[in-house]
Amino acid sequence: MVNVLSCLLKRKVTADVPARDEEIEALGREIRREVDAVFGGSLAIRELDTGSDNAAEIEINNLTNPYYDVERFGITFVASPRHADVLLVTGAVTHNMAVAAKKTYDAMPSPKFVVAVGDDACTGGIFAGSYAVLGGAEKIVPVDLKIPGNPPAPKEILSGLLALMRHAGRTR
Amino acid sequence: MVSDEGLGKRAVRELLGPGGLSEQVTEGCNGEWYLRVSEPEFLPLVTSLAARECALIGLFCTEHFSPGAPFSLLYVLEKKGVLLVVVLDTAQSAPSIARLLPSACWPERECRDGFGIAFEGSFDERRLLLHETYPDDYHPLKKCVGNVPPTMKSSVEPSAEYPFRGVQGDGVYQIPVGPVHAGIIEPGHFRFSVIGEKIFNLELRMFYKHRGIEKLAEGRSQGDLVRIAEAVSGDESVANSVACCIAVEKIAGTHVPERAWALRTILMEEERIGSHLGDQAGMLVDVAFPLGASQFAVIREEVFRMNALLTGSRFLRGMIVPGGLSRDIRTEDLEALRLFVRQVRKRYRTGLKIVLSTASVIDRFSPTGVVRRSILRPLNITGPTARASGGNGDVRVDHPYGIYSRHSPSVRALHDGDVLSRFTVRASEILDSLDLIERLLESLPEGPVRVACEAKDGYALSLVESARGQSLCWIWIQNGVVERYKVRTASYCNWLAIEHAVQGEIVPDFPLINKSLNLSYAGTDM
Repeated sequence: MVNVLSCLLKRKVTADVPARDEEIEALGREIRREVDAVFGGSLAIRELDTGSDNAAEIEINNLTNPYYDVERFGITFVASPRHADVLLVTGAVTHNMAVAAKKTYDAMPSPKFVVAVGDDACTGGIFAGSYAVLGGAEKIVPVDLKIPGNPPAPKEILSGLLALMRHAGRTR
Repeated sequence: MVSDEGLGKRAVRELLGPGGLSEQVTEGCNGEWYLRVSEPEFLPLVTSLAARECALIGLFCTEHFSPGAPFSLLYVLEKKGVLLVVVLDTAQSAPSIARLLPSACWPERECRDGFGIAFEGSFDERRLLLHETYPDDYHPLKKCVGNVPPTMKSSVEPSAEYPFRGVQGDGVYQIPVGPVHAGIIEPGHFRFSVIGEKIFNLELRMFYKHRGIEKLAEGRSQGDLVRIAEAVSGDESVANSVACCIAVEKIAGTHVPERAWALRTILMEEERIGSHLGDQAGMLVDVAFPLGASQFAVIREEVFRMNALLTGSRFLRGMIVPGGLSRDIRTEDLEALRLFVRQVRKRYRTGLKIVLSTASVIDRFSPTGVVRRSILRPLNITGPTARASGGNGDVRVDHPYGIYSRHSPSVRALHDGDVLSRFTVRASEILDSLDLIERLLESLPEGPVRVACEAKDGYALSLVESARGQSLCWIWIQNGVVERYKVRTASYCNWLAIEHAVQGEIVPDFPLINKSLNLSYAGTDM
């Protein structure tokens, strides 16, 4: 009984994970401001891979690791395009993905934004001209912003999203 | 690979048995053996090799390889230490061997798509790489077909849609998932046939990301080829580019400097650590244990940052070139790596202890998603997945490349074949890789990191052990440019394991089982 009580009353501790990057914190504060001002407090992102080499997905996934943890800045990754403000497209668009990619974009409510992440999504990159790809993301959906890189690092993706929000705020 | 020629030849003879065939084998550039056979010889040979427990680890087609034959099919067979490439010349068709060696099923469909080869007696005639919107009778890998997008079909009749295997019966219903999934994941389609909550059957449909990598490489320089190899699968950039460089270097007869091999090995192991950590973090997210997941994710981010410090790329890209490395790594950065390895080991061990002593994690991990040992050889399941199911294959041990013959990893096979075994195998591999990096840093050879390397003519097979397992590549160079680049990553084989591992499991365990197999879609779809 004493054991149970002491377990209940004891202060709960989790391991101290040493992860802080001042540059990201500063970038995050700016993002938070823009998300609040332009998107009413939360920016919902849907990721769409149309034929990447998986490096760009890994970097987008990394945005949720404790170093970046972008949810605290108001950015969420959503499971359905119907809940999304922004579509992040990675990879050159393959013929085999073209129909699914178009359907995903069409399922998003307006106003909507499309960001091409990585060289392949921006221009087709190394795959441009292949029989199996159409080219960059703009071949099937209107692209608002391109973030080049092979792949772009998480910090570059965040800077890109900040630029998108500033652009959206101005053109509102 | 097999260094002693006499020994290698004897092993091949033993494999082929008595008879004329063993006199016809010729040795390739990288220790592999080639055997050209006629069609009447082919089936009896493959039957006998299958009976001798050979695994079919690769099958691909190439054009104008043998004088007088339009196409040649190359069947790569492996039995511990021996690599035999059976070459079958053909004008248009070949007998299917997918019933004898099931790992031939996807490659046969691939050869049919790419080159229009018909496989007689094949049980699966559906297209693989080319989905419905591609025109009929379009075979992009033929030399006479240019590398330009064909005129795609604007619409597809319902009758022409991909036919999934129908599972009929009382209470059986289907759940179609994908190609666009709910998370930040690559695209692929899973067709579940479910009874109640239990998965009765799963059928995959992949190749949504087919980018035409092999065709893209043709006619390119050897330097360009390595950049293409890096784009096969992002988190295997080093493994696939090293595989490609080994083949080129063997054709050219180049000896890569010791320091370059030591640094390449460090980068390969660094890549393995990053991949395994991401995978373990993902598995813990899927069982709702963020405490463990966060610790591994933090270490993984630090590995990426260390990669950037060492090479300027978080994915270690741009370093591997034919003949060595594009540049040396600075001494102070290597010193930073040494300190990093030491402190990561300590933190990783702490995290691991927390995870493995948490009942809710173990309860979800075991005995979930069992890959039975009996499917390993027929499907050529490789890497940590095989080693968690009683397999003891590891390319670094079976066909050591670079300096692995002197730094062989200890292969520790587990036998349960479940998610927990795959998690644990990866944990011990991370610790082994950290040890190996530290050992290599202690006695890093001095000297150049690159020598001139320019292959003129020839072909070679190479195998490396990526984080996911055996990655195969075959390169044929003519007049200094790429004539044919064949690449087959571990994921291409291991994807089929998931169809078996989920049977009888509940649908909510699928994401966990999937994560535990760590499969690359990009590396499969090419």
